[in-house]
Amino acid sequence: MSSLDGIALEIQWSNLIATVTEQARALQRIAFSPIVREAGDLATALFDRRGRMVAQAVTGTPGHINSLAAAGQHFVREFPPDTLAPGDVLITNDPWLSAGHFFDITVMTPVFRGGRCIGFFGSTIHHTDIGGYGVGAGARDVHEEGLWIPLAKLYEKGVPNALLHAIIRRNVRTPEHVSGDLAAQVAAGRVGAERLNTLCDRSGFDDIEALSQAIIDRSEQATRESIRGLRPGTYHGESIFDVPGGLKVTLQAAVTVDAVAGELTIDFAGSSPEAAIGINVVLNYTAAYANFAVRACLDPDLPNNFGSLTPVRVVAPEGSIVHCRYPAPVNARHVVGMYVPMPVLKALHQVMPERVLAEGSGAVWTIQIQGRDDAGQPFTSSMFNYSGGMGARREKPGLSATCYPTGVAAVPVEVLEAAMPIVFTRKELRRGSGGTGRQPGGDGQCIGFRMRTSDPWLLNVVASRTDMGPEGLEGGGPGLPGRFLVNGRPVNEARKMAMQAGDEVLMETPGGGGYGAAEKMVQNPGERPE
Amino acid sequence: MPDDAQSGSPGGGASSGFALAVDIGGTFTDVVLRHASGRAVTDKTLTTHTNLLTGFFRAVDLALGKAGIAPAAVTEVTVHATTLVTNAVIERRGPPTALLATRGFRDVLSIRNEHRYDMFDPQIEFPDPLVPDALVFTLDERMLADGNVAKPVDPLEAAAVARAMLAAGVRAVGICLLNAYRNGAHERAARDAIRGAAPGMEITLSSEVSPQIREYPRASTTVMNAYTQPIVAPYLAALFAELQRRGFPNRPLIMLSNGGVVGTSVAAAFPVRMIESGPAAGALAATYFSELLGLDRLLSFDMGGTTAKACLITDGKPLVAGEFEVDRRYRFKPGSGFPITIPAVDMIEIGAGGGSIARVDNLGLLKVGPRSAGSEPGPVCYGRGGTEPTVTDADVVLGLLDAERFLGGDMKLDRAAATAALGALGQRLGVDAVTAARGVFEVVCEQMAGAARAHATDRGIDWRGLPMLAFGGAGPVHACRVAELLECRQVVFPPMASVLSAFGTLVSPVRLDLVRSALAPLATQDWEAAQRLVGAMADEGRAALAEAGVPATDATLELAVDCRYRGQQNEVTAALPLAVLAAGDAAALREAFEHAYEALYGIRLPEVPVEIVTWRLAARGPLPLAAPSPAGGAAAAAPRTHRPVAVEPAMPVVPVYDRAALAVGQRIAGPVIIEERETTLVVLRGWTAGVHPSGAVIAEHAS
Repeated sequence: MSSLDGIALEIQWSNLIATVTEQARALQRIAFSPIVREAGDLATALFDRRGRMVAQAVTGTPGHINSLAAAGQHFVREFPPDTLAPGDVLITNDPWLSAGHFFDITVMTPVFRGGRCIGFFGSTIHHTDIGGYGVGAGARDVHEEGLWIPLAKLYEKGVPNALLHAIIRRNVRTPEHVSGDLAAQVAAGRVGAERLNTLCDRSGFDDIEALSQAIIDRSEQATRESIRGLRPGTYHGESIFDVPGGLKVTLQAAVTVDAVAGELTIDFAGSSPEAAIGINVVLNYTAAYANFAVRACLDPDLPNNFGSLTPVRVVAPEGSIVHCRYPAPVNARHVVGMYVPMPVLKALHQVMPERVLAEGSGAVWTIQIQGRDDAGQPFTSSMFNYSGGMGARREKPGLSATCYPTGVAAVPVEVLEAAMPIVFTRKELRRGSGGTGRQPGGDGQCIGFRMRTSDPWLLNVVASRTDMGPEGLEGGGPGLPGRFLVNGRPVNEARKMAMQAGDEVLMETPGGGGYGAAEKMVQNPGERPE
Repeated sequence: MPDDAQSGSPGGGASSGFALAVDIGGTFTDVVLRHASGRAVTDKTLTTHTNLLTGFFRAVDLALGKAGIAPAAVTEVTVHATTLVTNAVIERRGPPTALLATRGFRDVLSIRNEHRYDMFDPQIEFPDPLVPDALVFTLDERMLADGNVAKPVDPLEAAAVARAMLAAGVRAVGICLLNAYRNGAHERAARDAIRGAAPGMEITLSSEVSPQIREYPRASTTVMNAYTQPIVAPYLAALFAELQRRGFPNRPLIMLSNGGVVGTSVAAAFPVRMIESGPAAGALAATYFSELLGLDRLLSFDMGGTTAKACLITDGKPLVAGEFEVDRRYRFKPGSGFPITIPAVDMIEIGAGGGSIARVDNLGLLKVGPRSAGSEPGPVCYGRGGTEPTVTDADVVLGLLDAERFLGGDMKLDRAAATAALGALGQRLGVDAVTAARGVFEVVCEQMAGAARAHATDRGIDWRGLPMLAFGGAGPVHACRVAELLECRQVVFPPMASVLSAFGTLVSPVRLDLVRSALAPLATQDWEAAQRLVGAMADEGRAALAEAGVPATDATLELAVDCRYRGQQNEVTAALPLAVLAAGDAAALREAFEHAYEALYGIRLPEVPVEIVTWRLAARGPLPLAAPSPAGGAAAAAPRTHRPVAVEPAMPVVPVYDRAALAVGQRIAGPVIIEERETTLVVLRGWTAGVHPSGAVIAEHAS
C-alpha cells in the first residue's frame, strides 16, 4: 500500500475519525447516565487486530479516553482475534484493565470482513449504577464497590449471554438503564463495523493492517519529533493536596526528556502510598491523565492513538496511590486522578513555560443527596459537581468556575430544584479566591443550599484541597483553599453524613494559582467590592 | 407603528401582483422580485454596514428598475431577512445593558455551565458577557421550583435598583430570576416597579422571551434580547416608514430563525428570534424544493466562500433545534459562544468554504481548513494578496472553474498563481500541482461528508442516501463528490441559487414558535393546568398571525411536547394532536413520545415512567403557493465549449454548457460542467444531469 501518501492517508484517516465520532454521538444521545450526556464522559475508538488503538473520537474526559486505549491490548490477549466469530461482543469493567472503577464498562465489537476479524470498535461509558457501595469513597475494598465483570463475551455469535445479562441486571439498582446503555454500546459498535466495511469496499482493502500501521507510524514519529524539540534532562514537580477525611496526598512526578529517542518518561516515585478509602488510582488511569497533560502542552493537535501514546512512558511504584494493587478500593479514583496533571505541569514548566498553566483547584467537588420528601417519597439525586478556579496561563488569566483537567458541566440549579426538594441560597463567584499575579488565577465559587424536607437526609460530598490552596507559578500567588461548612462549621468527611432538616450547607471551591509576580497585585477581572 | 397599512396575504390566492424579498447577509444584500406567474428578477448589491437600509433600498431599486414597475405593483408580500441582530452582538454595538438576577446568583453569566469546551487546549477563552459585571443587579426575592413564592418582590427595592441602573447609564435590562420559567410573577412585578421608576427603560423578561428551565441559557437569551432591542426596534420602524413613504402597499414581514415570518411588532419585541434568519430562509428554499420534487427527506448543502452549511429537511420541514450559539470565540468549537434557547432552523457549519486554506501538517498529511482566507484577501487566484492555496484555487487548477468566466467574466482569476501555490504545496507531499489540487478537492469533500454524518447522527437521522440540494458559490462544484461519500444518488441544483435565501423568504409561512417548560411526571400531570398554558400560547400565536395578515380561519396550531424517561435529561420532541391534550389522554401522549423515541434510538423502555418537560406550540399560516419559475431554452442545447478537467487522474476533456441555454427535459451524462454566473455545476462520471420543469438541474447517480 505504497499509495498511502499524505493525501490518501488523510482521506482514509478522516473517514475513520468520522466513524468513531458518529459512534460517540450516537452513544451520547441515547445514554441514560447523566454524566455521559451532560459531560460527554465516554470514549469510542477503533482498534486493529493487535488491539492497538488506531482512531478515537474527541470526547469527554481524559480518564476515559486514554484508558480505553490500554484496554484493547487486554481484550486481544484474552480473546485472540482468530478465535472470535461474527456476532461476538466482548465486555469488561475490570478497574485494572480499563478505566479504573466499576462504573465504567467497556464493550468491544469485533469487525469481520470475509470471515476474518480485522479490528474492533470499542466504547467505554460511565453507567448509572454498578451495585455495591454506590457513589463515593467510603468502601473498604474493591469488592464492596459493586459488580466486577471480568473480560467476557456479552454476545456469542449474535446470541446474548443470558447468564451474564441476568447477573448484571440482578446486581445493579437501575437495571433498565444499565441494560439500555449496554444495548446502545452494542448497537454503536455494530454501526461502526458496517462503516468500516464500507470504507474497505471503497478503497479496495481486505483489512486495515497497512492503514493502521501508517497511522500509528506517522503519529509516533510526529510525537517523537515534538519531544526532540525539548531540552533534555529530568524535571521534577510536586503537588500536595488534602482529600475527604483529612488525608494529605503527595504526588511527585519526575519527567525525563530523552531528546535523542524522542521519549518522555514520567515517574511517580515518591508519591503517597495507597489509601484506606476509595480514592486509589490504577496505573492505567494515572497514565491516562499524565499522558493527557503532556499532549495538551506538547501539541493539542497531535492525534491520539497507539502511536502517539507509545513514546510517553508512565511508571509508578506498585502500591502507591497512583498504581494501586488489588483489592484497594478505587471508586472515587477521579479525586486523586484529576490531580495527576498538576505535578507533571510543574515539571514541564521548566521546559515549556509558555504552554503550561499554574495549579488549579484540581478535582471537581461531587455531591449526592438522599432523603425523603414531605410526601414520604424517597429520592436519590444523581451525582452532581462544581468546579473551582483554573490556574493562570502565562499570557492569560485562569478561567473562573471552570475545572482542569476534566471539563465537565454543572447541572443547572433549576434542574436540581425541580428534581428534588432542594433550595439553593447562592451560587456565585468566590471573589478574590484566585491567586494574584501578572496573570491572576481563576476564582472558585460559593454554593449554598438547604433541603425543603422535615426528615433527616444523607449528604455525600467529595471535597478536596481544603487545607492548602493551589500554588502559583513564577511568583504568582496561591489560590485560596476550599471550605466545606455545615451550619457554619467546617467538616471533613469521606463518608455519607446524616443531616437534619434545616441544616445549611456551604461549599467554597478553591481558586486557581496565579502566574508571574505581579507588579500590582492584580486579581481576577470581575473583582469588585460588594 | 401605524395600523392602517394592509398586510399582504402570504397565503396567496389568485393575484397578479409582485412579491419582494430582501436578504441582508454579511457581504451581499440579495433581492428577489417575483411575479405571481413565477417570473422573477434577482439582483445583489454590497451590504452597507453603516446603514443597512441604504443597501436594502439600493437592491430594491435595482430590482424594480429591471422589472420596470413602481412600488405600488408590489401587492403581494414584502419579506425581509437580516443579519442585523447577529452583527449587533458580534460588534458589541448595543447600549449599556443590565441583568437583574436573584440575589446570590449574580454571576450566572460568567459562571455559565462551568463546561470547558475544549478538553485538550489549556489556552481557551470565552467571549465577554454582553452585560459587564458592574451592570449586574440583584433582587432579594425567591420563587421556588414548584411556582410557590418563598420571598416576594419588594417593589421599593426594585424601584431603587431601577434608579441605580439609570444612574449607571443603563438603557435596557434583561430580567432573569430563578424558576421564572415556572412562574413569571416576580419578573412581572419587577418590570412594573422598574417602569414606574425608570420610564423608557427597555425591559426583557426571561419568562416571556424563553420560559425554559436552565438558568444560564435562559439568562443568556434574555440579555441578548435586551441588548439588541434598542437597535432593532428603531431599525424596523425606519424600514416600515420608508416602505410606506415610497408607496409600498404592505407592511413588511420579518423572517425569524425558526423558518417562519412575523409582523414587525412581534419581531421588534423579540429581536433574538431573528438572529439566524438568513440561513433559515435558505433552508426554507430547500424545503420548497423538497415539496416540489416530492422528496420527503433532503440534505441542504450550502457552500460559499467562507462557510459550508448543512441542514436536514424531513417531512417537508427543516429540522428546528431549540438552542444554538452566537459569537463563538472559535468557529468550529461548540460551547465557545453564547447559548440562545430560541427555536431555530438546525443548521450547522460543516466546513470553511472555498476560502479554506490547505496545508501539510506535522505528520505530512494534507489538511484543509479550519483556517480560511475568507473574502479578504481571499484565494490566491483572486490576486488580492492571498498567498496560501485554498479550495477555490484547487478548483481553478483542476479546471472545474473557468478562470476567464468567474462571476460571468466580471472577475478574472489568476490561474498561474493558483497553480504555483498548489505546486508549492505538492512539493511538500512529493506530488505535482494538479495531484495536490485533486487531493485538496478530495480532502475537503471527505471532511464535509464526515461533519454531515456526525450532525445527522446527532439528530438520530440515517444519513445514507439522503438526496442533496446544493447551492452557494462552491456548493454545486463539490456536491456530487460529497454526495457519493454520503451514498446519495440524487443532487438537486436549484435555480436562483445565488439568491436562494431571499427566494426562501418568499416561500416561508407565517410562523411563530412558542415554548413553555412545565416539568411534571406524566402520571400526575395536571391536565387543566396544561390546557390553560397551551391556551395562552395559542392566543399569543394567533395574535402574531393576525398581525402578519393571516386570518384566524387560515391559522394552524401544531402542538408538540418534549418528554423524557425519568432518569434521562435529554428530551425527545413528539408531535401531539391537540385533541390528546383536550382529552387529557396520558396513554396517547406516552405512545406519541415512545413512538418518537423509538424512531431515534430503536428501543422503548416500557418499565420507565415518562416526564413532560416542555410544551411547544407552532402557530403557522398556510404555505405560500409559489409557481416554479419557467426555465431555459426550447431546444436541447449543445456544449458551449470543451475543456480538460483533472478531477480524474486521466484528465478527460469535458463538455461545458451554459445553464441558461439548457432546455427542460434535456439530459446530459457526466462528466460535464454546467456554468452559470455565480456558480458552476460539476457533474461527475456516473451521474446524469436532467433539467426539471422548475428550472432545477437534477443529477442522478447510475447505480
